Amino acid sequence: MSLYVYCLGDGLTEAALAGVRGLNDEPARLFGHAGLVAVVSPFGEAPVPVTRAHLLAHNRVNAQALASATPLPFRFGTLTTEERLASYMGARAAGLRAALARVRDCVEMSVKLMRETTAEAPAAPPADAGTAPAGTAFLLAKRRELLGEERERRRAEELAAWLERRTSDLARESEVRVRPSESIVVRAAHLVVRARLADYRERLRALRAERPDLRFLNSGPWPPYSFADADVTASGCE
Amino acid sequence: MAQHSPEAPIPVEPEIETAHAAEFAGELRRVADALPERINVDARSVEQGLAKLVLTLIELVRRLLEKQAVRRMEGGGLTPKQVEELGLALMKLEEKMRELKGQFGLEDEDLNLDLGPIGKLI
Repeated sequence: MSLYVYCLGDGLTEAALAGVRGLNDEPARLFGHAGLVAVVSPFGEAPVPVTRAHLLAHNRVNAQALASATPLPFRFGTLTTEERLASYMGARAAGLRAALARVRDCVEMSVKLMRETTAEAPAAPPADAGTAPAGTAFLLAKRRELLGEERERRRAEELAAWLERRTSDLARESEVRVRPSESIVVRAAHLVVRARLADYRERLRALRAERPDLRFLNSGPWPPYSFADADVTASGCE
Repeated sequence: MAQHSPEAPIPVEPEIETAHAAEFAGELRRVADALPERINVDARSVEQGLAKLVLTLIELVRRLLEKQAVRRMEGGGLTPKQVEELGLALMKLEEKMRELKGQFGLEDEDLNLDLGPIGKLI
């Protein structure tokens, strides 16, 4: 029987997890080693099927842990054994404590930005486009394409910079991805101190009012997936 | 075990705030559907996977060549004859890629390599 691992911490208690059920409705429990504790539950089959029920169970256990102390979450589907988990926790104790200190007392908040789709007039072809020979016309068309892509990239980066400026006083750290060619042009993860969560949410409301041209998707609090390195599989524990 | 001050409790369930749930759900579902499924090692899948890998690399190089050609054209370092010859060569390369993708049943999205901070290939 394998262990399904949800998260790892140093401030987690049995009381905080009381009653929470994990995958296959198994009770979540603590596994302690080297001054750290992992939240685990028994799991029989490998690999872990990606089902709605399993995903919700993974999130439910991590949310329960997060309610009382910020853990380092593991990726969905992490299976191991007690021996390998103990080995991992023992060998990486110092690094894990440093990672926990980084996220202590914080939660992850997610912001995704989508631009309102407006029908922009396509760039006018140059005056000589109709008379240019085929190869030249091809390169001129590519040039227009590239200029458009560069313009979209600049706009997406300006958007990311605007979001960073307006949230940097409330986010201890940020992880931002800019994707100008996609609908969701900016994806940001903010590490927010718990005590400032209400201020952060108020700030996001203000930002939504400030930019009616943007579509916001805000969510959280989440365990700090974007700021954690708790990868058991990388150490060969799976 | 190290002792730390208790952290401020927070609600267990995360909240989701948006006035555009349908749009975001649609986009996130589209991204999820594009993720590769588990690796299948039968012969046909291996051949398809290899074709996809090779064509992705060719597409990457082809697009870099196009960008380089446009930069050189903008920089004024090419004569009109050279611009025309370069454009024709790249046009034929694009056409050949279209044929090869068709032969292997691949679409542009199949070759859309995520280059991380640089963005996607296409």
